[in-house]
Amino acid sequence: MAEVLGVLKHPLDTADAVTKLRGAGFEDLNVYSPVPSHEIEHALHRGESGVRLWTLIGGLTGVSLGYLMTIWMSYDWPLVIGGKPFASIPAYTVIAFELTILFGGVLTVAGLVVHGLILSRDTSSAYRPSFSGGEFGCVVNCHSDQIPRVQELLQGAGCTEVRVVEG
Amino acid sequence: MAAMTEPIPANADQINEDVFRTLQPPTPLYVLAILLMGGITTAGVGALAYQTYFGMGVTGLQHPVMWGVYITTFVFWVGIAHAGTLISAILYLFRAKWRNAINRGAEAMTVFAVITAGQFPLIHIGRLWKFYFMLPYPNQRGLWVNFKSPLMWDVFAVGTYTTISILFLIVGLIPDIAAARDRIPDWRRHLYNVLSFGWRGTGEQWRHHARAVLHLSGLATPLVLSVHSVVSWDFAVSLVPGWHTTIFAPYFVAGAIFSGIAMVITVLVPVRASFGLHAVIRAEHFDNMGKFIVLTSTIVGYAYATEFFMAWYSTNAFEQAAFWHRAFGDYWWATWIMITCNVIVPLPLWIKRVRLNVTWMWITSIFINIGMWFERYVIITTGLSHEYSPAAWGYYTPSWVEMTILAASFSFFMMFFLIFLRMFPIVAVQEVKETYYENEGAR
Repeated sequence: MAEVLGVLKHPLDTADAVTKLRGAGFEDLNVYSPVPSHEIEHALHRGESGVRLWTLIGGLTGVSLGYLMTIWMSYDWPLVIGGKPFASIPAYTVIAFELTILFGGVLTVAGLVVHGLILSRDTSSAYRPSFSGGEFGCVVNCHSDQIPRVQELLQGAGCTEVRVVEG
Repeated sequence: MAAMTEPIPANADQINEDVFRTLQPPTPLYVLAILLMGGITTAGVGALAYQTYFGMGVTGLQHPVMWGVYITTFVFWVGIAHAGTLISAILYLFRAKWRNAINRGAEAMTVFAVITAGQFPLIHIGRLWKFYFMLPYPNQRGLWVNFKSPLMWDVFAVGTYTTISILFLIVGLIPDIAAARDRIPDWRRHLYNVLSFGWRGTGEQWRHHARAVLHLSGLATPLVLSVHSVVSWDFAVSLVPGWHTTIFAPYFVAGAIFSGIAMVITVLVPVRASFGLHAVIRAEHFDNMGKFIVLTSTIVGYAYATEFFMAWYSTNAFEQAAFWHRAFGDYWWATWIMITCNVIVPLPLWIKRVRLNVTWMWITSIFINIGMWFERYVIITTGLSHEYSPAAWGYYTPSWVEMTILAASFSFFMMFFLIFLRMFPIVAVQEVKETYYENEGAR
């Protein structure tokens, strides 16, 4: 297997390059971008992020814990006030709401760490510091005999530089 | 006008250069500012140690005014902390792209403001080491905290807000720290290497990052509205005349956004001038923030008027006495400082030319900061000093201990902001570049 890198100057050009490569049957692609880009995301066609499930689980855990904790503690140490119920649901909704946000937020970040930083960790030698500046990289993993075709596609997509990545 | 003559970034690399200029080694003036802020903060720590040793008698707090400068300052800093989340989360959901140049500064300000605010309830309880009584933990007596108390709601609201604000800041910073890692050659490179968590801006990473930012924004939007509502219920749930009103939640939230935006302007104008960030933080950003100030100033002014109107219209003698005392009693001067700074001084901002004048905006923002601190002081002290029984009326004068700790809160906030300024990109580089690429002229 070989890695071919194309360097571009604009996110729309990068998205075009990805679309052309995928159209030619090259699905094992990676993109380096200094900015978030909807166009590149749509071109890569990777589907929904798993982070949303983390948020849902966090939010549901928070709201459940908020109500269960406050109600249980009220009955464990009852404060008798004029015959009123020990547990006051409207008052406890504030706590449940805050814990929904807290757990939802913390688990969202945990989801980002797992999906975006651990499982998506990139170790390719194609990366260069200019990809966090003003350049975009499009890396194609292909067989050695496909390299000329990939180079042709990348050059046709407006890459300012195309090269085979060493090592 | 200034907006017409300001340069625009030539390319994406120019944006990097402009922003990373703030990460250059510190100048003597910067070191002097840090030392000054550190000195005032140390004086505040000394005053707190004095208060802790001799007890709360060294403050001006005494019956009937048992909440004073500390709670005023707590509410003030929580309010300041609202701008970051408003700009980062709410404007993100509304796709207001102009926020990109100022959101990082506002987010950092939010984190330091809420950390500053969080210290004041602890300072106010006197016995700092008993703070854990507020947490629901299993204890020998088998008793739990009272979740029906708005003070407990506050613990959860401010605790959640602190956590989410810090997470929001960190998540937004990761791609920019990676950019700094690729550019800063000194010892900080190792720090950035660790804090960027291996970020390279791959398609996969951006996909999960965008989703996380969207969800955090969705969660933070109701949170920001809830936090100051909860803070307002510390007052509104009580029966004190002048406090027991239903408009407190929206009134406090509008006031918080008002003061928060003003503090963003106060902080960013010197940063913009010092580091030559005119091409990134432009006059149009101040114009837009000025519109927010006009809106929230109007809401706050309307709330002031509504309070006085309802006191008169209710025919409730205690409410009427409380508001008469507020406007013409012992604290008339504080009330009129509040009204002047929050309602009258922002009036010229209805004119676009004024909003585009950055110097004018900066001066106005300082008046608003002063006015909003006095708003909380007026609500707290006039309410408590003049309750139902004339025999229990009193007058509160803050002591030097309280004033020193108040001054230290500002220096503490500024000191950490200045440190952040030299350590991390103060402008969200990736988001500014995103806007840059979206403009047709970039191609």
